[in-house]
Amino acid sequence: MGEAGTVRLPLIQGGKTLAQVTLDVLAPMERRPGLLWWIAFAGALGLLALGAAAVSYQVATGIGTWGLNNTVGWAFDITNFVFWIGIGHAGTLISAILFLFRQRWRTSVNRSAEAMTLFAVMCAGIFPLIHMGRPWMGFWVFPYPNDRGPLWMNFRSPLAWDAFAISTYFIISATFWYIGLIPDLATIRDRSRAGPRRAVFSLLSLGWDGSYRTWQRYETVYTLLAGLATPLVVSVHTIVSWDFATSVIPGWHATIFPPYFVAGAIFSGMAMVLTLMIIARKAMNLEHYITHRHVDVMCKLILLTSGIVSLAYGTEFFMAQYSGNSYEQFVFLNRAMGPMAWSYWTMVSCNVLAPQFLWFKRVRSSLPAVFVITIFINIGMWFERFVIIVTSLHRDYLPSSWASYTPSPIEVATLLGSFGLFFTLFLLFCRLLPVIAIAEVKGVLQHGHPSGGGQPRHEEGSHQE
Amino acid sequence: MIDPHPSRWRSLDEYADQPDSKRHGEAEFDDTPLRHAASPGRRDFLRATGFVVAAGAMGGCSRAPGRTASPLPSQPEGYWPGRSDQYATVCGGCASACGVLAKVRDGRPVKLEGNPDHPLSCGGLCAVGQASILSLYDGLRLRQPLISGKPSSWEETDKAIATSFDSIRRKKGAIRILTGTTTSPALLERIRVFAASFNKARHVVFDPISVSALLDAHELLFGIRVLPRMRFDKAPVVAAFDADFLGSWISPVEFARGYREARLEDGVPFQHAWHAHFESRMSVTGARADERVRLTPGQIAPALEALASRLAARTGAQFPAARGQSSGLPESQLDGVAERLWNSRGRSLVVCGLADLKAQKLCAYCNHLLGNYGTVLDLDRPSLQRQGSDKAMSGLLQEIAAGQVDALIVYGVNPAADLPLDNHALEALRHIPLFVSLSAQMDETAQMARFVCPDADALESWGDAEPVAGTVSIQQPVFQLVGKSRPAIESFAAWSSQPAAAHDLIRAHWRDSIHPRHTGGLSFDEFWRTALQTGAVEVTPRSRARKPFRAEEVESLDPVAHGEGLTAVLYAKTSLPDGRHAFNPWLQELPDPVTKATWDNYACLSPAKAAALNVGDGDLVRLTADGHVVELPVLVQPGQHDGAVAIALGYGRRVSQRFSRVGPQWLYARPSVGADGLVGANASCFLQWSPEGLSYLRVVRIEKTGRKRELAITQTHHTLAVPPDLNPGGPPRPIIQEVSLDALSTPPPHHAEPHPELWPRDHQYTGRRWAMAIDLDACTGCSACVVSCQIENNVPVAGRDEVVRNREMYWLRVDRYYSGPPENPRVAHQPMMCQHCEHAPCETVCPVLATVHSSEGLNQQVYNRCVGTRYCANNCPYKVRRFNWFEYPREDRLVNLLLNPDVTVRSRGVMEKCSFCVQRIQEAKIEAKRLGKPIDEGEVVPACQQSCPTQAIVFGDLNNSKSRISMWANHPRGYRVLEEINVRPSVYYLKIIRRDGQANEGGHHG
Repeated sequence: MGEAGTVRLPLIQGGKTLAQVTLDVLAPMERRPGLLWWIAFAGALGLLALGAAAVSYQVATGIGTWGLNNTVGWAFDITNFVFWIGIGHAGTLISAILFLFRQRWRTSVNRSAEAMTLFAVMCAGIFPLIHMGRPWMGFWVFPYPNDRGPLWMNFRSPLAWDAFAISTYFIISATFWYIGLIPDLATIRDRSRAGPRRAVFSLLSLGWDGSYRTWQRYETVYTLLAGLATPLVVSVHTIVSWDFATSVIPGWHATIFPPYFVAGAIFSGMAMVLTLMIIARKAMNLEHYITHRHVDVMCKLILLTSGIVSLAYGTEFFMAQYSGNSYEQFVFLNRAMGPMAWSYWTMVSCNVLAPQFLWFKRVRSSLPAVFVITIFINIGMWFERFVIIVTSLHRDYLPSSWASYTPSPIEVATLLGSFGLFFTLFLLFCRLLPVIAIAEVKGVLQHGHPSGGGQPRHEEGSHQE
Repeated sequence: MIDPHPSRWRSLDEYADQPDSKRHGEAEFDDTPLRHAASPGRRDFLRATGFVVAAGAMGGCSRAPGRTASPLPSQPEGYWPGRSDQYATVCGGCASACGVLAKVRDGRPVKLEGNPDHPLSCGGLCAVGQASILSLYDGLRLRQPLISGKPSSWEETDKAIATSFDSIRRKKGAIRILTGTTTSPALLERIRVFAASFNKARHVVFDPISVSALLDAHELLFGIRVLPRMRFDKAPVVAAFDADFLGSWISPVEFARGYREARLEDGVPFQHAWHAHFESRMSVTGARADERVRLTPGQIAPALEALASRLAARTGAQFPAARGQSSGLPESQLDGVAERLWNSRGRSLVVCGLADLKAQKLCAYCNHLLGNYGTVLDLDRPSLQRQGSDKAMSGLLQEIAAGQVDALIVYGVNPAADLPLDNHALEALRHIPLFVSLSAQMDETAQMARFVCPDADALESWGDAEPVAGTVSIQQPVFQLVGKSRPAIESFAAWSSQPAAAHDLIRAHWRDSIHPRHTGGLSFDEFWRTALQTGAVEVTPRSRARKPFRAEEVESLDPVAHGEGLTAVLYAKTSLPDGRHAFNPWLQELPDPVTKATWDNYACLSPAKAAALNVGDGDLVRLTADGHVVELPVLVQPGQHDGAVAIALGYGRRVSQRFSRVGPQWLYARPSVGADGLVGANASCFLQWSPEGLSYLRVVRIEKTGRKRELAITQTHHTLAVPPDLNPGGPPRPIIQEVSLDALSTPPPHHAEPHPELWPRDHQYTGRRWAMAIDLDACTGCSACVVSCQIENNVPVAGRDEVVRNREMYWLRVDRYYSGPPENPRVAHQPMMCQHCEHAPCETVCPVLATVHSSEGLNQQVYNRCVGTRYCANNCPYKVRRFNWFEYPREDRLVNLLLNPDVTVRSRGVMEKCSFCVQRIQEAKIEAKRLGKPIDEGEVVPACQQSCPTQAIVFGDLNNSKSRISMWANHPRGYRVLEEINVRPSVYYLKIIRRDGQANEGGHHG
């Protein structure tokens, strides 16, 4: 259908032709990196090196190099873990759920969102390992065959469920991402001159030939994988929330946790996607592909999930008071008014108050404003996990054991290091792979007629959105 | 093994053609490799190669050093490798001389336990006694004589000293022997003999924490300078004036035991028992009192005087002019106390810990009026546990200052650090022509001495003790001498030109002087053996002529000028009573039972005073008195009087230099010592000489420095009520429950129906079920159990910095909670350890099954399975799990000999916690199995229960309905902590009895 057929703004602006799309998206890969990239990469690598040094020192010396104590056994470690897992959620949401709902605006952002998911899960996966006192024995949490008889792993432990949930999530996300990449990998292959680059991309594109049959099978696999990945969006953070919900600690032991965590994860994930996209579209000249409309849609999603998260905060307080359990009541009052109240109010301001600006269209259409708000949300969602973990632990049942918590420099360096890893991987991704799904974007270009295999899902019904 | 050349056949014909031998019989053994020896195959080659390589490798190994090794073809009788033996001996921790059983495992003592057969300590052993075993293995202990600081041999040293002695003898010079209280009759005899070889010799006894005034008072009143044995077990009503008799005063284990006994009658609380305590600082004993009266240090003696005048009025005795000015005293409270004491005449006790002769005389007068002499206070079998005389000490100091002392031998005291010596006095001390120290530690005095002749440790040498006249014990060695130290008794014998081994000296003394006092009709050898085996025997005390009580000696107090200033109260801390133990890391790290502070001394201020000075915990203050300055961090202590600043003695000692690198060393580790390289500050400069003796009170000026030194406190929140700003009006948590005496005597209401269980029982416990019960009413918080547990279970010392970071490693802690007004709060102690829950939250969350439930109800931690996720610790409602944050230093190989071989030393990164002393359970089980009998009541005694002076802990099999633990678990006072979360702990607590009718009945469910 032609441009006249829709009253909506086009998803891709600038009247791009199919060839232009390919050129635009592949441009960063096919030229030398600019100074900006090098500066960013050096910074990220520096942070990564700092984190690597901190983790090496900690593994060599002991968990004591962190600020934890007898009362607060988890703090930055599990906070970072849940934070990064949460970040990862947006990718799967965009790629799988929005795909099944035929939200076609996703095509411009799904590739990078999925990449972000993978990198975030990688960052997250480090923490369960390094938070162990003896990480070299970490493989014991997996049910591998051994000769220890009944001493196997504990299927009742949420940490064991975590190990399954995260590894499943990573594998499915990686597969999904890779399958989605194949048509684009073939495009790069076809554009490369004979040489190692071509050889590598030939191998990676798995003999893609662009034929109708290939496209049809690809579509089938992609849809199936999307269906498979969809429950993961809900399951991973549900299981992560069980780490807390199945305990006896007031402030952790709450049935609201699974939906609360999932909503929070999508919230933080969307914020992080926006943060990255706003930079990337500018830095990589992709303004026509990642448009104000994308930002607008994602802002609305953020607004929705912020509402859910705010409701959860309120519900927690209400339930604590309504339950009549004095330990529970105390934990929540202590969160809001105790010695760590500053972290609670940081969380509330960032997650509840800051997103409210997005009700205004003017804010939503101002990229700097959206960028600032998403940064606040990222901070707030980190603090949400910190609040849940630390303020519940530091004052629980026996007042004799009440303690405080201050992070050590090693812990802070580890957190910075995880950002270093994330950005290092993301910057490499920007250089080495197409950050926008070329094939999918071609599908939403509003040209009158499909040409070749570039518009796999261009159907009549697609314009009803 | 497969035949490399199998004979195969394709048809029956072919088979028939094979040789018979191949077909039958031999074919079965075809694969025997020997059969093919003639044609070596691949396997044979490999085998041969393997042998050659292995032989070559083994040949290259060095042989075990075999020159001095010899096998043990016939083992000593009764010695079983791996099984421990117990030897009855005497605790060397202080002069209380409690009876201990030294547990010796494979030839090395690994634990000291109280001797249940000992008539004084009755099986209890305090924290100091428990920890004193470390001195045996202390690598920095002096192990050979020193001349002017240089190592020497005994021959050389003795020769040099003897030459000096000879010249002193010739010129009739003055020699002084300065010792702490020693209860050893044989050593006292040796010192007497030694002193007798000089013309002008005197033996001066001085105690750093002295009760000299009490002794002097009895000298004046009864004509003999003795310390009456205080039978707390016979005195249900006690009025104590600044005497911390459950914590550090004279013989706390014996007193605590007696105190507990007197408060029970046939196992139930005695209705009329009462303990009134008058003090200005918050002591362990004051924390236990039924009625605690907070006074300024200057008001305590007047209160005693007011009590004495009330008692005198009741008897009609003429009381020497009671002072009119008694303002500020709690008159009505004193009436009540007098009433209770009077009603319990002959079964009551007034004790006074003031270093004030007149107050001590008044105290004795009170007891005299109450008829307590002869019933509660025993003068015929007096205590010999403190004999120091402040007057003699001050006389000696004057002599030294005047240069009249030619030789000084110091043993068991450290005057250079314990006394307020100015530079002039120290210089005089240094200029004594012959200065000999017998200290085993390089302390301040030994540092100044020309000769250091280190004494041997109590566990490696023979000795004896007579803590109470007529009760004698033998101290037997359980270890060979570590190094070349020499028991003091041998040194004195050598210097008297009668060199002999300690064993021979002790035995000779016992034959000549102790055995004749024995009336049981045993021969000497039998008597000796009985004494060795039981740990203590009773003999007739030496008779002492005493005069009847001289009431005319009692005099009223001098009017004290009521200064508005702050008075420093210098006290002995329960966990580190004097500087002798300052080298002991266990005691340095042991939290004080009341303040819960470790590793430093501090200035305790009342909350009001601290607020007035605008200081808080950890703010450094400068205390000044007549030019003496001490800087200490503030600790805000509820219950302390606003007019007092309490400072512990025994800190800032040279021997604590060693702690600069105690605990884990890492990037941000902070040392356990202060800027001066020592732990704490020595406050002995505030001690003051008065005509009567040493005064432990000093008016000081206090000022804020503006600097801070964070205190290492193990408990930072002190009440069960949540902070009022967070839960206004909320009830305190029912963690500690109390019951009033009245409520206890009325029959309990019909026991409510147990709640129906929705969750099926996880465990059936068909055999035994181990459980523990702790009587909170008996617990004084003394923390003997904490150290006992630490030693038994190889719990590392974490160091000051780790305590600051809330990472102390104790498996058993004693929680302390305040309730009521901060001016004079009520205190409750609660030992807290793993509760071995039936529905243990820790067990479900461990991903690798490193913590599992045993069929006997133990929650077991499997160290080598643990990966250290710390989820179990997070999910523990009692927060009793301890994580190995670091590899705790275990580099001292000598100290490592002290490790309990039955308990794994945990490595970095694993979780640990109380195991209910599973090693002791296993030992008892193995023994019961060997003998084919069930485990009897009392055969499994965990370390904490063993050492408890008040027997507040009971352990046993809950499935045995006749066991004590079953009785306690179903006790009317019994409850379990956090019962409402249904984790079903195996540790029961017995409610505290409040005798003043103001019990916090608890029972609120959260």
